[in-house]
Amino acid sequence: MNTHPYLRAYMAGITVPTMLLLVVLSGFLIARYTFHIPIPIERAIIFPMALVPNLFGVWNIFYLWLRPRRHLPIGFHGAILPFILAPAGLTLATCSGFLVATSSGLAWFHDVVIPYRFLAGAFCFALIAYYLVWKYLVGFFNEVLGIA
Amino acid sequence: MSKDETNEQEQKRIASLLKHSIAPVDGELKRDLWPQMLRRLDETSSSRSWFSVMFSTAALSSVPWFDWALLAALIIGVCVFPNTIPIWLYHF
Repeated sequence: MNTHPYLRAYMAGITVPTMLLLVVLSGFLIARYTFHIPIPIERAIIFPMALVPNLFGVWNIFYLWLRPRRHLPIGFHGAILPFILAPAGLTLATCSGFLVATSSGLAWFHDVVIPYRFLAGAFCFALIAYYLVWKYLVGFFNEVLGIA
Repeated sequence: MSKDETNEQEQKRIASLLKHSIAPVDGELKRDLWPQMLRRLDETSSSRSWFSVMFSTAALSSVPWFDWALLAALIIGVCVFPNTIPIWLYHF
């Protein structure tokens, strides 16, 4: 009998970013209407709404497929994902017009400037965040769906 | 008859004896495991919600100290640079 493990892996993978989408949208709305950061929500939401959940699902399928072949702990497997997501997010943001490279750093939403010297540190923080999210949240949903 | 041929015949005989002594194995499962899986899920969910399981004392105490340290570093980083929160949100 086929119990569709890859479908369950996809569902377990998309659960976390789908739940976080509400937080993301609320955060964008608060930033725009309370702190007056000019975030173009309709363009900025495309990446966290369409690409991130699907990539989480596909990455979890890849984890399940990879497990019998070359086992990597799920936290480290998840920490590799920013190497794909960060360039994709930066490209989409640049194409959508809310990320501009200036002489002082990367200007997000025409308001927040991240100096170039902080970019490596910010990326390390992304790795930590993804490591923790995958180890504890995605790992938990994998357990719940019986594919851990 | 050479020694090699005798050995080959002997091996074939042993292989055939082994085949007959072991019952054939079905590639497909004879029973459906999904109801058992559902029962297991029900047992867990009926007693406690997934949220309380995730944040139970047992679950939290099993987290190693360096993961707590990483989480603390992350929270401190966000507190020190609060204007980066929209960028974090964008990447999730």
